[in-house]
Amino acid sequence: MSVETPERPIARAVAEGRMPGRVWMYANYHCNIQCTYCLTESGPKVTQRALSPETMIAVGEQAKELGFTDLGVTGGETFLMPHMPDTLARLADELPVVALTNGTLFSRRLLEKVEPLAERDVALQISLDRPDADVNDEMRAPDNFRKVVAAVPALVERGITVRIATTVESIEDNELDRLCALHRDLGVPDSEHIIRPIVRRGRADTENLGVTAVQSDLPAELTITDDGAFWGPFGPTVHDDRLDTDLLVTRTTLPLETPARALLGLLEGRPDGDDSALNIR
Amino acid sequence: MTTIERVELDQVPLLARPYFADGDPGPIVRALAQVPELLTVALPFIGAALAPSAIGFRAKEIVIVRTSALAGCRFCVETHAVVALDAGLSPAHVAALRTPGPVPDGLFGDPAEEALLGWVDVVGGGGPVSDEERAAILRHWDHHEIVELTTVVGATLMLNRFATALALPTSPDALERLEKEGLR
Ligand code: SF4
Repeated sequence: MSVETPERPIARAVAEGRMPGRVWMYANYHCNIQCTYCLTESGPKVTQRALSPETMIAVGEQAKELGFTDLGVTGGETFLMPHMPDTLARLADELPVVALTNGTLFSRRLLEKVEPLAERDVALQISLDRPDADVNDEMRAPDNFRKVVAAVPALVERGITVRIATTVESIEDNELDRLCALHRDLGVPDSEHIIRPIVRRGRADTENLGVTAVQSDLPAELTITDDGAFWGPFGPTVHDDRLDTDLLVTRTTLPLETPARALLGLLEGRPDGDDSALNIR
Repeated sequence: MTTIERVELDQVPLLARPYFADGDPGPIVRALAQVPELLTVALPFIGAALAPSAIGFRAKEIVIVRTSALAGCRFCVETHAVVALDAGLSPAHVAALRTPGPVPDGLFGDPAEEALLGWVDVVGGGGPVSDEERAAILRHWDHHEIVELTTVVGATLMLNRFATALALPTSPDALERLEKEGLR
């Protein structure tokens, strides 16, 4: 007698490379700073649009059950959510996690709280755009550079995996060399440094910055927000205080299978070879 | 006036895009597109229920205009009054359908259409449906036709409440045609 294996279309699509393995969550939309190129127009006074820790954990559990391989947590500034250290640890029980942060809130107290993440499969991805404080801070916030170069080694010393994300319109070779020397000095190897373009959505669009990206340029990583599920983390942007819906997949987020199947349907309907060349990630 | 947002044409969600391929699909689709997973199941149903099928265009429009008038839905009455004219109903027919209450004697002249109107008034008006009323419609329409016509009443009522609650605007083209036909 043969036992039928239940069909797992998402797991199969992920395993066969037809669907990205990572599920992103927008933990919140508010931020302690206000970068010029921010996709979500984040700042201290914006609507929080926060996911509850319970929802985030349910997304993590269901992502694993469905066959996804990785989790991502972004915002807003994720560490404005007091539950974040615990939630990241809990999510890492399910799947490897990368959490994005601007790296400016790592007081001694927060460092203590995140220390247990050293034992878990959690990486913190911190933004650092330029090797010089004044140029870096121009697009981000006063004192941003100083706080980041203090936070990164403090996290690395505690055994936490740190990744550096550099978001720029363009960067001279010489400046990039100095930036790479800096991140190595801070304890972050080249393998943990990513460079990506500014995407012209949200505040970047208002400021006339970055590259125009269409659906096929953007990674189709299922992205869960308080307002619905989107085609990738560059989907649920905010412009003129209004959430963009052009990359909305479904309003339903849980059960995760609903948006996951809808996203897979969209991917399967996409013409062959319709892939991005913009290195947006 | 407070209105509920409908998606802008540059903000159409991915699953909803096929419904916008030929341009602005109108306020019902633009409102439903806010919830794409609802749109993609609702529209095929609405299309199957309201478009001509085994039941002809004219009979369906009789049901839709009359049901909408009973429900007091300005948007659906105005929009479908125009469609009803295209389906071969006269301005006098449309005016009678739009006015709840008895239609002038002999206006429709077809016992099947008159029985249909009686059925719509009973179903769309709410409350119980008597055995005599079921028997009256069965004298002119087959069982499967009654199932379908009753579904048309139900689907129309759903849209009536949707359009009224969301204050959907009638298209200027429809209003202009009604004006021309003396139906405004
Ligand atoms: S880019 Fe990141 S750090 Fe900057 S305002 Fe937006 S959410 Fe905050």
